Amino acid sequence: MLETKDLTKKYEDGLLALDHLNLRVEPGEIFCMFGANGSGKTTAINLILGFIPPTKGTAFVEGVDVVKEPLKSKEHISYVSENVMLYGNFTAYQNLDYFSKLAGKRKIKRTEYAEVMKRVGLQEEAFDMRIKNFSKGMRQKLGIAVAILKDAPNLILDEPTSGLDPKSGQEFMGLLLELKAKEKSIFISSHDIFRAKFIADRVGFMLQGKLVMMKTSEELHGEDLNKLYLEYMHEHSVDE
Amino acid sequence: MLRDIIKKEIQDTIMSPRFVFTFLLCTILILLAVYTGINNYQAELKEHSAAMALNKKNLESQQGYQQLAGLGTKINRKPQVLSTIVSGIWEAVGRVASVNIAYDPNMTESKYSSNPIFAVFGPLDLTFIVKIVLSLFAILFTYDTIVGEKEKGTLKLALSNKVPRDRLILGKAIGGFVSLLIPLLIPLLIGLLLLMVYPNVSLVGGDWIRIALILLIFLLYLSVFFTLGLFVSARTSRSSTSFLILLFIWVTFVTVIPKASVMIASQIKPIPSVHEITAQKDAYLQEIQKEAFAERTEYFKNNPAPDKDQPEARKKWEEGIRKWAEDLQQSLTGKIDERNAAIERDYQAKMQQQQRLAVNLSRISPTSAMMFGAMSLARTGVDEHDRFLSSVRTYKPIFTKWVNEKMMQGNIFGGEQIKPDLGDMPQHEFIPERLEESFQRVLPDIILMIFLIILFFVGAYVSFLRYDVR
Repeated sequence: MLETKDLTKKYEDGLLALDHLNLRVEPGEIFCMFGANGSGKTTAINLILGFIPPTKGTAFVEGVDVVKEPLKSKEHISYVSENVMLYGNFTAYQNLDYFSKLAGKRKIKRTEYAEVMKRVGLQEEAFDMRIKNFSKGMRQKLGIAVAILKDAPNLILDEPTSGLDPKSGQEFMGLLLELKAKEKSIFISSHDIFRAKFIADRVGFMLQGKLVMMKTSEELHGEDLNKLYLEYMHEHSVDE
Repeated sequence: MLRDIIKKEIQDTIMSPRFVFTFLLCTILILLAVYTGINNYQAELKEHSAAMALNKKNLESQQGYQQLAGLGTKINRKPQVLSTIVSGIWEAVGRVASVNIAYDPNMTESKYSSNPIFAVFGPLDLTFIVKIVLSLFAILFTYDTIVGEKEKGTLKLALSNKVPRDRLILGKAIGGFVSLLIPLLIPLLIGLLLLMVYPNVSLVGGDWIRIALILLIFLLYLSVFFTLGLFVSARTSRSSTSFLILLFIWVTFVTVIPKASVMIASQIKPIPSVHEITAQKDAYLQEIQKEAFAERTEYFKNNPAPDKDQPEARKKWEEGIRKWAEDLQQSLTGKIDERNAAIERDYQAKMQQQQRLAVNLSRISPTSAMMFGAMSLARTGVDEHDRFLSSVRTYKPIFTKWVNEKMMQGNIFGGEQIKPDLGDMPQHEFIPERLEESFQRVLPDIILMIFLIILFFVGAYVSFLRYDVR
């Protein structure tokens, strides 16, 4: 379970990047956070992962305070970044092996790596290929494989479908539903409203560091999420 | 976990094209440098033997002590075996010193004077490769160690795990350094094997200790640039910025500081030019010559020659002149030597002050520290040159005294000269600096480099703990 309490980040230049974010993502739930560039989505992720300290508030991962126990909290999170690059001179196998070891998984067999790669839609031939020859979609899938191998109860994905072709995007969403079925708490920051609306249990709209709207999939039933997002953004920016 | 990070760092570097390029280039350059060093050393040994034989032949062919005094003897510096890896300044300062009764000895016949093209490009020795090429590689290996991972996004991915930052930077530092050592150590070991198997290159126990210390200094020097690279990489947010900053510091360390130090030292502690010193010596020589002429006139005025029909008185008179001339010659050359020695002492003292200042100023740069350290250990540096020249200058009055005595024993009134007997001619002796002395000399350079390594590593460590990985 992921939880934020009044999570706030104000930079030294006075920019309020995140303003009192209160959020809870339950096990087996997919939460999608939408917002324009600079709205605070990535800042929220950076705070939850402990990459930057909050100005106020905190976040909890499986009940562990990320400010007080940053290393312990990371045991419970898998992270997939936008534009996964990994180590270009390494093969897919070497990348998986290294990051799995960093995640504390030391006894994974080669066959298990191969299995996860197949699961994320990577061909067997790619296993021993240097990933500098991988397409963006293949690297993204490998990033998901790294997260799956860590097998943490919480998954944070930052713009995971950016740059994926429609087929890969579809496969990727299917994979997230599989993880959801395994009771993972999934937090997605995205611009991809089209795909996300099919899998999200809840969606939130971010504007200038604030979570300005949050709706469940039931509440969204029958609504055009894309239209709603645009209207909401326009309305609030007029208010501002 | 630390082991995994180190292993990954080594694997990542070894599999990169820059490692392959570095390894090939290092192998070619290091082996070429050692091979060139060995060939140069062997050629110098041959030249040294030939020059010694020629000098002996020249001395033996002199018809009398008068000519011997004017021609003098040539002191040929024996090449140092470690010049095979650190050529130092010897090629530039000359290898021969002429010792005669007239002039102060100085080193001449440098390799550069015999072939000026060498002066244009300088020697290709191991020190040059470490100083320029390997230090650049150290930068090339580290400029993106931290910032490059940030740009790739792998830093965020790594730190999203339970990985303490201090362990990550330590692993990266150890792994990166080992990766840098591989292209250096393998060709170096092959180079040392070459040194062992080549004929005429005889290395004794002390030489091996010196080689080990030289290698230690090389490693420390590369570590300075390595930790500097790590530090700058942990202070920047773009790898291009990191590379530019490191390139600027590299140029400053390698070329600007050493040259600027010499210029600053010459401004702060100026010394008279060689021409001024020569003019002072010449002026005194003329003064002495006038004095000698006056004394001679005075002597002959007071001691007129007896008639030829008084052989006994004439013989006594000749004996008197011989004694008087010997005393005068000894007294005048003694005065000249004393005065010249005083001028020289003063000049040397001023020059040494200037040198010391230049050396100490330039030591801000690890390049200077490495160069001075390696040259001191190879006994091819400024200090050994000063010691050698000093030994030649100490020998000069000994030779002068001997040749003067011999001249006076001969026929000073002309006629048949006595063929010089070289059996009792005093020989020049030079004892090269002992290992303990060399080590004491390089200790400040070693300490300075260790200080810089610690400074840069702590800087990198602290910076990384606070590094913005976004």
